Amino acid sequence: MSVDHRAFLDATLPYLDVVYQVARHAAGDGQDPEDLVQETYLRAYEAFSSWRGQNMRAWLAAICLNAARSQARRRRRRPWEASFGVPLDAFPVADAAGRHADDVADVVIAGLDAQAVARCLALLPEPQRVCIVLMDVAGYTAREAAEALGCPRGTVLARVHRGRRRLARLLTEAGVSYGRP
Amino acid sequence: MDGHDTGHRLLAAFLAGDLNSADARLWDEHLLACEHCWQAVREDRAGRQAAQLLRQPPPAGLADRVGFAVELAAAGTVAQQRHCHGMRLRWRWLAAAGAVAATVAVTVSVLVPGGRETGTMPAAVAAVARYAQELPPAQQPAPGPGGPGAPVEVGSPVTVAAGGQQMVLRVLWLGDVEAVVAVSAQPFAMPARAHGAAGPGMAWIARLGSLGLYCRNGHASELVAARVPEAQLAALAARLPPA
Repeated sequence: MSVDHRAFLDATLPYLDVVYQVARHAAGDGQDPEDLVQETYLRAYEAFSSWRGQNMRAWLAAICLNAARSQARRRRRRPWEASFGVPLDAFPVADAAGRHADDVADVVIAGLDAQAVARCLALLPEPQRVCIVLMDVAGYTAREAAEALGCPRGTVLARVHRGRRRLARLLTEAGVSYGRP
Repeated sequence: MDGHDTGHRLLAAFLAGDLNSADARLWDEHLLACEHCWQAVREDRAGRQAAQLLRQPPPAGLADRVGFAVELAAAGTVAQQRHCHGMRLRWRWLAAAGAVAATVAVTVSVLVPGGRETGTMPAAVAAVARYAQELPPAQQPAPGPGGPGAPVEVGSPVTVAAGGQQMVLRVLWLGDVEAVVAVSAQPFAMPARAHGAAGPGMAWIARLGSLGLYCRNGHASELVAARVPEAQLAALAARLPPA
């Protein structure tokens, strides 16, 4: 391999932010997201000579997700489930004042707690969680997420939609921020 | 196609951002009449907005860390490309360095197996750690001319290269602690699981088994490896003579 590392860094460092977003949520128990970002870039550098001009953001996300999985395998742990293992009953008990299903969106939007969102997100099935992280947290388009995950765009859209709805309901059930000023 | 199917199709198109103007009008009309789709849209929007709360900017210094890591990987790659060509010379050179280091009874040849990365541990850092781990047990020497507590060097400095990075290794006693101190003109890359530390330049601390690693990168970068708790590493490094 004789890749100019400066050219590589010029091409990839602008995406450090999105790789970090993915790494924060892909890193499993005992994994440091910053270590995962570094590992992602080292793997990307090794593979840069074989990069064929596909979407760089999608390519880096795919490498990051693969790195997280392989590190988790080495640790014999599952990568997406260990970080936020707090059960929902750790949250404030939901207001049981007969809240109607229509209130879901208003409740969630009214006031949100990022930590609670992270915990609820961790309760989603991995495919939905990954799609939400890519699209809503890291800002990928559905097409980019599909490229990173190697699945059709329609699949990504369906997963992210189901995941968002479930996330909203989980937050409502957890009583997140409901009734707070 | 009944109303439900139409609604489902329009919902999917809406979520995908694929509605054309005609469908957009249909969709608006449908939403007013279909509680199910209205609920789906509201929850979708709420879930998206909630997830967006999880965005966080990357920590300061991450770009530098990644840049360092890639630079060192690049240096290691060059070293590997040269590896076969310079194999004989390299091992002769290492053997000579090993002879110089005989007073500390360390086999230098095991330090730099091809200058490759060891897992996520940068090769230069791995070499220093390996050197420190291979030190045979020794008794604390008598105080030197600087008096009790002043650094006392044992043996002779050894110059080695790992991952394309050249450095000089010394064994010093700092009080009752034996430490390996590596000095290099190039910065030592942060290994995985290291964390930043107070200190000049890009200082970091890492632990490798019982070994603590403290690095301060600067004009001349220093890496200290000693069997002490992390909390004592910075204080230990502060007792070193100027590089």
